[in-house]
Amino acid sequence: MNHELTVRTRTTPAGPVIELAGVLDHHSAPDVRTVLPHLALSPGQQLVIDLDRLTFCDSTGITVLIAARNHALAAGASVVLTAVPDDVIRTFRLVGLERVFSIQPTSQAAAAAWTRPGPPSE
Amino acid sequence: MCRTDGNGKSGGSPPDSQPGDEQAMFSALLEDSAEDLYEHAPCGYLSTTLDGRIAKINRTLLDWLGYESSDLVGRRDFSDLLTVGGRLYHETHFGPLLRMQGTISGIALELKTADGDRLPVLVTSIIRTGSDGQPLLIRTTVFDARDRRTYEAELLRARQESDRERERLKRLNATLQKTLLPPTLVDVPGLDVAAYYHVASADEVGGDFYDLFPLASGTWGFFLGDVCGKGAAAAAVTSLARYTLRAAAVYDPDPAAVLANLNTVLNHEYNGQDPRFCTVIFGLLTPDGDEGGFQVTLASGGHPPALLMRSDGHADYLPTPGGQLIGVLPDADIATTSVRLDPGDTLFLHTDGLTEAHSVGADGRYGDEALLEFAQELAPTTARDTVAAIRDLLDTFGTGVDDDTAVLAFNVPRHSSEEQM
Amino acid sequence: MDVRSRNHVRVTGRTGGPIVMLAHGFGCDQNMWRLVVPLLEPDFTVVLFDHVGAGNSDLASWSERRYSTVDGYAEDVLEICHELALGPVTFVGHSVSAMMGVVAATQEPGAFSGLLLLAPSPCFIDDPVSGYRGGFSAADIEELLESLDSNYLGWSRAMAPVITGNPERPELGEELTNSFCRTDPDIARVFARVTFLSDNRESLAHVRVPTLVAQCSRDAIAPPEVGAFVQARIPGSSLITLNATGHCPQLAAPEETAAAIAAFAGAGL
Repeated sequence: MNHELTVRTRTTPAGPVIELAGVLDHHSAPDVRTVLPHLALSPGQQLVIDLDRLTFCDSTGITVLIAARNHALAAGASVVLTAVPDDVIRTFRLVGLERVFSIQPTSQAAAAAWTRPGPPSE
Repeated sequence: MCRTDGNGKSGGSPPDSQPGDEQAMFSALLEDSAEDLYEHAPCGYLSTTLDGRIAKINRTLLDWLGYESSDLVGRRDFSDLLTVGGRLYHETHFGPLLRMQGTISGIALELKTADGDRLPVLVTSIIRTGSDGQPLLIRTTVFDARDRRTYEAELLRARQESDRERERLKRLNATLQKTLLPPTLVDVPGLDVAAYYHVASADEVGGDFYDLFPLASGTWGFFLGDVCGKGAAAAAVTSLARYTLRAAAVYDPDPAAVLANLNTVLNHEYNGQDPRFCTVIFGLLTPDGDEGGFQVTLASGGHPPALLMRSDGHADYLPTPGGQLIGVLPDADIATTSVRLDPGDTLFLHTDGLTEAHSVGADGRYGDEALLEFAQELAPTTARDTVAAIRDLLDTFGTGVDDDTAVLAFNVPRHSSEEQM
Repeated sequence: MDVRSRNHVRVTGRTGGPIVMLAHGFGCDQNMWRLVVPLLEPDFTVVLFDHVGAGNSDLASWSERRYSTVDGYAEDVLEICHELALGPVTFVGHSVSAMMGVVAATQEPGAFSGLLLLAPSPCFIDDPVSGYRGGFSAADIEELLESLDSNYLGWSRAMAPVITGNPERPELGEELTNSFCRTDPDIARVFARVTFLSDNRESLAHVRVPTLVAQCSRDAIAPPEVGAFVQARIPGSSLITLNATGHCPQLAAPEETAAAIAAFAGAGL
């Protein structure tokens, strides 16, 4: 049984991107939790969590995604999940989270969909 | 010897020679007596004949033991120096292995000194052979292992202590787990009920929970859920969830209202970096009609759907789509559904420890499809048989079940006249 | 698990020759006979095996219930005889295995053409009431069991897994340990109790097969009077004292031991 999870973060103009590869579960969830406070997130930016190479996500993994969402919302930023694997989508549907996260096919698509916040017009 | 040694003895060396070489050569001159090296080596030396009679022993070992050479050489066997237990060990293990391998190393023994004390030692022996390959004698080095033995004893003591602590932790966890589950299920007239809790790890309290309890006006409430995470923090949420559900059901037994209440409580209690949520099914059981059926209303907050196994052998999930997990969203959607249980029907609730168990199924997990097939094989069935079958199934997964699993089953027994058909 | 795999039975030597079955004692496995076997092979069919729990036997077949008495091992000896179906064997039992042969022969005399008891002891502990001298006090044996408990095959083998708490990673201790006579420490502990705490003196009088007691000149484990005791109790038996010293003549003096076996086993021809 392989509980390995690789966590990579990078920064784009739209905001930070976290790439998760491997198994996100009870054993590996703390690895993600520890990177959250170090993310530089400005109001109006978006936090992208790229799940392209995620192979498994259990309920503790979902907690971490929610923690990331809470972290982004607290900073006035939004959160986008990209390349969500089918079985994770299934779990999301089961627990009703597919309506809570915005989901994009790729991190490039997420970047393209992001609009730089302009000065408050109204 | 150290280069910065300031005793001046190497001061006469020519400037172009390496001071290290010079000192090594000088040291070699000091160590020109092989006999002195043997007699006063920092370890004990002992040579015996092949049958163990002591032939030669160095000063170091004699001093450790408090003997003179004349006490031992030609008079005593190596095994005479050992404790009785050590002698038996020597005869049955050390000696035979040495004969077979020609060498044996790192054996811990205790030697008896002349005044009756015991000296812990580490012993290494080789068989010295002649030019024709015939064994001639046994050479043995003896290292003083007093400090080491003390250290080993301390390590062993620490390990035993940690084993005891772990045992205590397991007992504490088991006790805590019990307080999160009903000691026995209440008796619901006309309903066969069975439940099972599978503990995946004795080291951590799991977060699954269930209960069945009477409410006013002849109805019963029940729930089964799964708090994400493990350990004491999850157990605290489990406890809160369980008592909130019981209290909320008294206040307003409508299943969706009960879960909404729980959602509010958990949102208030846990948010931010350490969100705590659960998935849960809450239901009401109401006896319905003279035929012995029950009306069941279910509300689900993101929990795996219940399984319905009908008396005619059909089995399917009872979907509650759209329900959201409880505890993270201020206005979580809660999905409800109703079903009537007729005689012979069985309703089965589970947590995802079952479907996410490692097995040979698709993507290495047991999965929802396999569970449905399992239920289709099983139906029609009873609550007790369902739970027994699930226990057997979990047994076949063995260590593949890495999360706790709770199951709860209800069955309306067939009328006795039907059973005879 | 079939009997041959369970006990890692090996049959070697001259097909059709008189059959000699060699049983190892406590502390090792059939490797104990490696110097004797080549000397017997030209004339005898030689049967070798490991007691369950020792050497290459099937550890999964071991149970404390069956193997905490000499009787369980004696049953194995008879099962091996039945499985091989070679006819009556000359059973050579070293140390505690001598008593396994005694028990097996009282149960099924027909399975044996003879018993050669090599450095036997029916009881290691002195019995002051009957005046029997086994050579050890109960406290001595407890000391051995303690030393086994804390020190099975020395520090490298026993302490490493105990301290690291990693019995499932035996390689931690394995590299340093010895290549022969590997035994699971827990099993060795039970076997040590069988060996040193059993009292089989009663069984001796019931032996009805030709028996030779072969003791060593200087044996710290089985003193001369124990050999004499065994010979006196087994009807019609004889006693020889080998020149070999120590408790393991098959290693210390393989030629002499093989000659004694050959003379005894061949005499029945």
